[in-house]
Amino acid sequence: MKVEKISRSPIAELKRHVDVIQEAFKQALIPDRVTVEYPRERRIYPDNLRGFIVLDRSKCISCFRCAQICPANAIQMSLYDNFYPGVDYTKCIFCHFCVDSCPTGALASSNLHDMAFRSLEEMKVKATQMTRLPTIVREDKQSVEYFVTKKDWKLQRKKELEDISVLRIIPRIKPRRAFCEEPESCLGCRQCMEVCPHDAIVMERCEITLGGEVIGKGCILKVTEKCVGCGLCVRQCPMQILALKEVE
Amino acid sequence: MQEWQFVMPEKKHKKKFFGNLKAEVIDAKLCCHCAACSAICPVYGITAGDKPIEFPNWVKDCVDCGACVKVCPRWEYKPLNGVGNYVEVISAKSKRFKGQDGAMVTEITATALEMGLIEKAIFVSRDEDWRTKIVTIRDVSQLYDRKVTGTKYCYADSIPALKEAILSSKAVGFVGTPCMVSAVRKMQNSFKKFERVKLVIGLFCTENFYHHQLSEFLLKHKNVDLMKATKTDIKKGKFIVRFVDGSRVSFPVKELEEIIPSGCKVCQDFSAVESDVSVGSVGSESGFSTVLVRTEIAKAIVDKIRERGTAEIKEPDMGAVQKLCDYKIKIHPYPPKKKEEKKEEKS
Repeated sequence: MKVEKISRSPIAELKRHVDVIQEAFKQALIPDRVTVEYPRERRIYPDNLRGFIVLDRSKCISCFRCAQICPANAIQMSLYDNFYPGVDYTKCIFCHFCVDSCPTGALASSNLHDMAFRSLEEMKVKATQMTRLPTIVREDKQSVEYFVTKKDWKLQRKKELEDISVLRIIPRIKPRRAFCEEPESCLGCRQCMEVCPHDAIVMERCEITLGGEVIGKGCILKVTEKCVGCGLCVRQCPMQILALKEVE
Repeated sequence: MQEWQFVMPEKKHKKKFFGNLKAEVIDAKLCCHCAACSAICPVYGITAGDKPIEFPNWVKDCVDCGACVKVCPRWEYKPLNGVGNYVEVISAKSKRFKGQDGAMVTEITATALEMGLIEKAIFVSRDEDWRTKIVTIRDVSQLYDRKVTGTKYCYADSIPALKEAILSSKAVGFVGTPCMVSAVRKMQNSFKKFERVKLVIGLFCTENFYHHQLSEFLLKHKNVDLMKATKTDIKKGKFIVRFVDGSRVSFPVKELEEIIPSGCKVCQDFSAVESDVSVGSVGSESGFSTVLVRTEIAKAIVDKIRERGTAEIKEPDMGAVQKLCDYKIKIHPYPPKKKEEKKEEKS
């Protein structure tokens, strides 16, 4: 099949050329493009945008909650002096469920949003690499910020540059503690005690009394001050009678 | 800081609790295969199914909590017997459903679901080979399946399914043999969460079978293939199997003596004394079921059935029920025969 040549009048052709030159001049003087020239330009993100996950090993209690909640199965716990999480960024979807679920605030977000890796192997970030805060190499000459309203959206380019030191965004955590909602249904299996990484649930033998009379032998289970609210016992309980309760 | 107590039952042997249960119940041939221990076991180590209850590797895996002992209806067994207390007794036939006889278990469950008294009910369905299969009834429409209604005469793991159901909903209905009813009552006494079982329907029962033994017996001695059967029944001392083509085979239940599990041979509870409502064919004419109403909740359901007129109601023959209750005490003596002689000497 042969494509026919489009025939235009020379005047129309000339007009089109003038339009193009006009647009080029306009863009050179007052550019209105909406794309960011990465890495010469750096985009300013809102404060709450989820970024690279960092770990404070001193706070981590190895409760595995992050690994269990991860919907992409990207977190793997590896053994150092204790078990610590490592994030596989080939899988991570940046939902930050791990950060939200962390009972002690050991996992936190940071303001590092543009990560680059040399190989797939490097994307499997280990716990040791998550503890050190990474540094960003400055390449940007100006910063860009988007302003979006209901009617239109535009971007503003500024000469002043953003501070690029990587910061740990301290998560807000509510202290919680395990709580037995229905002690009458307790099987007495002590699985909560077995699973507790902090030995916060303790058992003592006792005698059961009813109206002042000893009716049999039994045990007392106690949730002590050591409980950090990791929720492992809540998941383990076969009768589902444990819950996490906020501490006032 | 919070603390709570739980009771530890007393041990009879210096072993873990499953070892106690094994020695006192399973090895003593008292186990009725209700699978309550399998349901309650916090480590899910106790296995039921179509074989005797066991806990492989219990010496190592048992967590020694005593829950199995607390719920076992045969631990410190005191046989229940007789007709028991009841507030009302009727003979009825459902107009909507087809079941074993009058389909009254189905009718009562359907009415309870419609009244909103229960959210779900645990029923036993079957596969082509009459193996039992647990189904959770959430909607009345599920009850029109002819495989769900009707008696199977084989052990089923209803109580493990019941435990899963109470963890996810607040009001559950349950249908079971007298031993299962006793097990559910024991669970309710020990663990508050089982109070979510709002309706317990007991079935009239003389004995139950292991599926593999029953099907093997029928194939070997009677040349009956359960694959082609549409209904099994026990009527007037005869085991009857009906087939797709309308033919039927019947023989006296006594011939099944050799495959009756040992746990059934010490059971004297024919009418499920501890249930909310007991249902069975004895005491009613063909196509009708006798309904023994024992508690308030069951009374409310039966009143609703009467008000709506979803069932045909007649007068039952309580003499026949009483007779079978007495018969079961006679054929299933407890303590078993060996010790019976001593008992007679004393008296």
